[in-house]
Amino acid sequence: MTDTHTSSSDVLLEIRGLNKSFGGVKAVDEVSMDLRAGIVTTLVGPNGAGKTTFFNLITGELTKDTGSIRWLGQKIDRIKPYQAARKGILRTFQDLRLFNDMTVEENILTSIEPMSFPTFRTRAQRAEQQERVEYALERTGLADKRHTLANDLAYAERKFLSMARILATDARLWLLDEPASGLDPQSYDRFLDILRVEVKKGVTVCIIEHNLDIVISISDRIAFLDRGRLLADGDPETVLNDPELTAIYFGERA
Amino acid sequence: MEAYLLNLAILISIYSILAVTLNFIMGYAGIYSLAHAVFFGIGAYASSYTALNFSASIFITLPVAMAIGAALSLVLALPALRVRGEYFVAASLGLQVLAVTIFSEWKGVTGGIGGLIGIPPVNIAGLEIYKPGEFIFLTVVTLIVVLVVINRLVHSSFGRSLQAIRDSESAAAAFGKNVPLIKTISVVISAALTAVAGALYASYLAFINVESFMLDTSVLIMAMVIIGGTGTQAGPIVGAALLLLLPSVISYLDFLPQTEIGSIQQIIYGLGMALLMIYRPGGIIGRKKVTSAGGSK
Repeated sequence: MTDTHTSSSDVLLEIRGLNKSFGGVKAVDEVSMDLRAGIVTTLVGPNGAGKTTFFNLITGELTKDTGSIRWLGQKIDRIKPYQAARKGILRTFQDLRLFNDMTVEENILTSIEPMSFPTFRTRAQRAEQQERVEYALERTGLADKRHTLANDLAYAERKFLSMARILATDARLWLLDEPASGLDPQSYDRFLDILRVEVKKGVTVCIIEHNLDIVISISDRIAFLDRGRLLADGDPETVLNDPELTAIYFGERA
Repeated sequence: MEAYLLNLAILISIYSILAVTLNFIMGYAGIYSLAHAVFFGIGAYASSYTALNFSASIFITLPVAMAIGAALSLVLALPALRVRGEYFVAASLGLQVLAVTIFSEWKGVTGGIGGLIGIPPVNIAGLEIYKPGEFIFLTVVTLIVVLVVINRLVHSSFGRSLQAIRDSESAAAAFGKNVPLIKTISVVISAALTAVAGALYASYLAFINVESFMLDTSVLIMAMVIIGGTGTQAGPIVGAALLLLLPSVISYLDFLPQTEIGSIQQIIYGLGMALLMIYRPGGIIGRKKVTSAGGSK
């Protein structure tokens, strides 16, 4: 499938010939792809297509077998997850992985504190931090729950806390692993609004999503993965109207 | 009677320091160490050796004990913190066994099995503190200082990083936390403060040998933390007081056969631990039952 996307925006992340196998199974098979700045790229594909593995390779949670990953032109093949985060690549997890025994506010605060050593901060620095926390709380509607332990939140609130952690940072690339799955319609709208506002501000998003309504309403670009291979990478209409891909997506494999 | 209570109070405050410093890594960073008595011992031997051979001034013995405790904790932290939690427990157990051997064999420094005798009292700017009535102030003030330091750390970005790592290592790393480094720093801080307790203990008793720094002690300190309340401020102190008072209380109960006191005590410990873990897994001070929602790895 040809690339019909016409945006001239810069490439943030350039992936070439990426491979990863687990035992004999190719989880990611020769994937080459660009994540362009300021747009939403959606990864779609059936379960086990390699979408989460793809995220894990970018953030260094897993080490690739072969291929190259470049961030703003610089090789980041051997990067560790904390280094990826410090470069501005942040992610959410499908199983959320909240800091369960910390409050909502502490969850957000600790997500914008990457330093390792006990550090002193000036009043101004602390105020700036608090401002970012407040922004994330307000956008996700969690302000009333700021002192609640993450463990005690309801399902949708937990999903929004996962978003709030990333929202408070100044990361340039967000890798979102099924952030909207299981949300009610009202929460969908809030989620979409959060995403639109941040993308407008310049955040680049790569999102794994199954709900086709959401896929259609947010995607600037869709990448279709199946059994580790990138079958299509292009604008939403083209990809979603391809009968072959639709068949694979709905499990009607030929 | 008064001397007896005073002695008990001093021991409770020293053990409280041990429990509080273990709780720092256990309750906030999720690092379960069975080698806490090792750093207690290192502090005791290092400060005693310094006091016996160089100077008994607290301004020399304490920093020496802390520095050596911190440096030697790297032996445990550097290799062990790169692996998963269970392995750290095993590695710390190994270190504990190894350390007991060194404590009892390295005659030149530790005095071997016989230990060190005639350890000079604490000397603060020429003032010697050895009377229990005075020493209690020293241990209580030290305990308060340790509490303040740990309290400040726990409520700083560093403390939040530790708790984030405890709750989900992979998510902490995904938000820029250098997990092995942060864990290592926490172990080093804990070991340095633990060594302070060792230094006080040695100069108070004026005699130490390996028996105070064996696996039993590590287990006892861990029991103090768990029973009192892991990850709480007051829990470790409550646990330390309770476990040190228990033997005395039991020995006051006349109806118990005096020769069996030891085993009765063990039964009470064991039973108490088991019941507590079933009904109040968070410890006496801790939150009631911890419900676990969502899978965090």
